[in-house]
Amino acid sequence: MSILRVENAEARYEGHIIFENLCLDVIKGKITTIIGPNGCGKSTLLKTMGRILKPKVGKVYLQEQDINTLPTQEIAKRLTLLPQNPVAPGELEVEELISYGRYPHRKNISKLTTEDKEKIEWALEITHILPYRNRPLGSLSGGQRQKVWLAMALAQDTTVLLLDEPTTYLDLAHQLDVLQIVENLNQHHQCTVVMVLHDINHAARFSHEIVGMRDGNIIATGSPDEMITVDILKQIFHIDARIMVDPFNGSPVCFGYESALAEEGLELLTKKENVAT
Amino acid sequence: MLSKSTGPRYVKSLLILIPLFVTIFYISLTNGTFDLTINDVIHTLLRINPVPAHDLVLFDYRLPRIVVASLVGLGLGIAGAVIQGITKNGLADPGILGINAGAGAAIVLFLFFFHEQFGSFSVLMQPLFGLIGGLVAAVIIYLLAWKNGRIDTQRLILTGIAISSGFGALAMYLSLKMKASDFEMATVWTTGSVYNANWQSILAMLPWFLLIIPIYRKSYLLDLFQLEESSLKSLGVSIEKEKAILLLSSIGLVSACVSVSGGIGFIGLMGPHIAKQLVGLQHRYIMPICGVIGMILVVASDFIAKNLFSPAEISVGIIISIIGVPYFLYLLLKARS
Repeated sequence: MSILRVENAEARYEGHIIFENLCLDVIKGKITTIIGPNGCGKSTLLKTMGRILKPKVGKVYLQEQDINTLPTQEIAKRLTLLPQNPVAPGELEVEELISYGRYPHRKNISKLTTEDKEKIEWALEITHILPYRNRPLGSLSGGQRQKVWLAMALAQDTTVLLLDEPTTYLDLAHQLDVLQIVENLNQHHQCTVVMVLHDINHAARFSHEIVGMRDGNIIATGSPDEMITVDILKQIFHIDARIMVDPFNGSPVCFGYESALAEEGLELLTKKENVAT
Repeated sequence: MLSKSTGPRYVKSLLILIPLFVTIFYISLTNGTFDLTINDVIHTLLRINPVPAHDLVLFDYRLPRIVVASLVGLGLGIAGAVIQGITKNGLADPGILGINAGAGAAIVLFLFFFHEQFGSFSVLMQPLFGLIGGLVAAVIIYLLAWKNGRIDTQRLILTGIAISSGFGALAMYLSLKMKASDFEMATVWTTGSVYNANWQSILAMLPWFLLIIPIYRKSYLLDLFQLEESSLKSLGVSIEKEKAILLLSSIGLVSACVSVSGGIGFIGLMGPHIAKQLVGLQHRYIMPICGVIGMILVVASDFIAKNLFSPAEISVGIIISIIGVPYFLYLLLKARS
């Protein structure tokens, strides 16, 4: 069943068309990952789904309701989006920032209710940041900070979680940490997750559904086994990938790749693309 | 809201600032060309053996002036906290942004054309015209400083300065065309002074201070405004609506102050900055502290302005600028590094 649906959406940035006639169904209770080269429109698609950007044409439906007709605060009770590089003052304390996540649920603005406090506590716990609850944000490492932001989104207590490159700039251990938190939320707390990832191996390991984009088009969607193939990766990234199955968990792994363009003598095109990005 | 440390810091700050304000209030009330003792003040206030000379000094000169100075400080301090909060810019101040000048120019315009028609009623009308001028200035700044869906810091300051001098020039031009008596009144708005304060002007200002209530109720939103636009949207904040309410209320507050005192700058700049040092980032604490700091700054500066070269007076705006300009430069340098 679809919980979030994009219908014939068109997005523009400063006059340039990022995508048009784009359709996507997000299945309830699953982790969907959008992959694709830089500038293909994956972040824009995520922002459109999270009503951060309003599509020029087309509609987005959240639980079969047109997102445009719903009050923004009502949407915030059901859906949250964690932007790519969120910023907050360095002096702000962890718990204070997380409490902001309660905003859409608050009636009495001056005081947190017991429920608010419970949700904040739960968010601190599930993201393993209890030890830093009273620390100022500026004193945390990038990985710790990303978990704090994730906790703020979780305090919002929504069924849909949109994450824009949640692992960028994190070291290997923290990347895994963040993705395992996401997996846990999906498995044990009925969260539907849509995220943008650059690492296709992470996408393969943690997603139920992968959406492959290039130049504003969705090239293909499917399970990791269907998507992480030589043929499809060539279409999405223009690479010749070498793929095997990870004996640890059975998910496909790309362990090496070459540029498909160089091989075909299309350096010119590559250059052009580099300029464009 | 959750922080354990800021609550006590807030109380401690108030325990220092309020007595400081009372002291300055007391000094301003008793000292001057005509010194009064505390007994004189108490006797006059409680109507025990009133002396006409004391009545005159207290009720006609000093008290209204100190009350106006306090109100102006309070209003500008709180408006500064709001404007810095929604522009996310520590250098924003109603004075620097030209809102003062816009309000001032509109009031001079009003005096120029309608002063005669409205008579004594005109004092009550002034804040309203100030509001219109302040809004016009704010809209122009908004339009010019807007870039890629957000307010650009450098553009904000630059347009502010341009708007400020533009409206200042307009006010000056109109003042020069006025009768000598009106001219004297009009120059007050360009430099900022509380010397013509009276009970009527206080009455005209007071209703506008009710705007502090909706502003304070939204103090929590100002905390959220420290985040980026996309985070705010994701939290379900109706950004443009809330910004408009807050901006409109604070411009109303500024206009009421400017209509009586003219363009006093830098209060809205220094107030929030000092307050953040004292109580941290929560606006429900920052706002009252800003208000009290504003009151202290204006009342103290007015006392200095009045007595430094007595019997000649300097305008309070100049005294505040003497402290404010270096402070602004210090913040500018800090923002650059």
